[in-house]
Amino acid sequence: MLEQLGKELALRFTVGGVEIAFNLVVVAVAVAVGGILLATASWLTRGLPRDPDAPLTRRAAVLVTVVDVFQNHLLGGVSPRLARQLLPFVATLFFYVLLCNWVGILPLPYIVSPTQDLNVTLGLAFLVYGLTHYYGIRSKGIARHLKGYLEPFPFLLPLNVVGDLGRTLSHGFRLFGNILGGALLTTVAPVVAMQIASLIPAVGVVLGWGARVPLMLLLNAWFGLLMGAIQALVFALLAVAYIQVTAD
Amino acid sequence: MEGEALVAAAKYLAAGICMGIGAIGPGVGEGIIGAHALDAMARQPEMANSLLRTMVIADAIAETTGIYSLVVAIVLIFVV
Repeated sequence: MLEQLGKELALRFTVGGVEIAFNLVVVAVAVAVGGILLATASWLTRGLPRDPDAPLTRRAAVLVTVVDVFQNHLLGGVSPRLARQLLPFVATLFFYVLLCNWVGILPLPYIVSPTQDLNVTLGLAFLVYGLTHYYGIRSKGIARHLKGYLEPFPFLLPLNVVGDLGRTLSHGFRLFGNILGGALLTTVAPVVAMQIASLIPAVGVVLGWGARVPLMLLLNAWFGLLMGAIQALVFALLAVAYIQVTAD
Repeated sequence: MEGEALVAAAKYLAAGICMGIGAIGPGVGEGIIGAHALDAMARQPEMANSLLRTMVIADAIAETTGIYSLVVAIVLIFVV
């Protein structure tokens, strides 16, 4: 049960003396999650009424609710112009991370959350980092955006640059650490509980197996569903906050 | 006990200490943040939405050092 922890199915090849490894499971699941999101989105937007005053169909009502929630809660503190530009990206980021986190609770062999791979989360974090510069330059112009690094005092420039990068790294590490920690605990805790229960004479083994299933369900619900949703929310919220700080 | 057994013992001990001490700071910090956010929400319930958003961001930032120690502990156990 525990011997597969920390192992991975990897595709390795060497390019110019540098070994590159792709974790095939993570790549496949990450692409599949993207595909599921695309399919769901195209199904939801199919047959939308062209006329904005037409009575809402059921799918249109779902979409309106989602957009409303994102506009009022996630993007509530952002200026309306920026919120309009950010809404599609932030909604995509939230649902992608959410689904990536939730994939991990499927009881299939080898299927893990892509977000418990540092490459995925750091990739998403650097995507957000790039977008902070894009929106910063777009709303303030390149000169004023670069001048922002010299504030409040010019000699604080290295501190600002390091702080920027540290912020991005911790953005990626936070999602990675939370999801990986939850996944490890979900795998390890039932096994450890069973070993502890088997120390009790006579009824120990039965007790262990009896406690194992509810414990696994509880851990999956807590760390998989609840923590997955909270971390996806935090990831999207922080992305909005970082972009907003540079753009204003 | 010598050689590899000593290294294994040291790395498990180090991971435990790292996570144990590293969890104190974020725990205290998130407690303070949550308490003050609840205080503010009880005072002004109509601000609850924006307070919750700010609280989650502040929680996430307070949690950062805990996540760093978790990463160090995981690296100690699985990589070293």
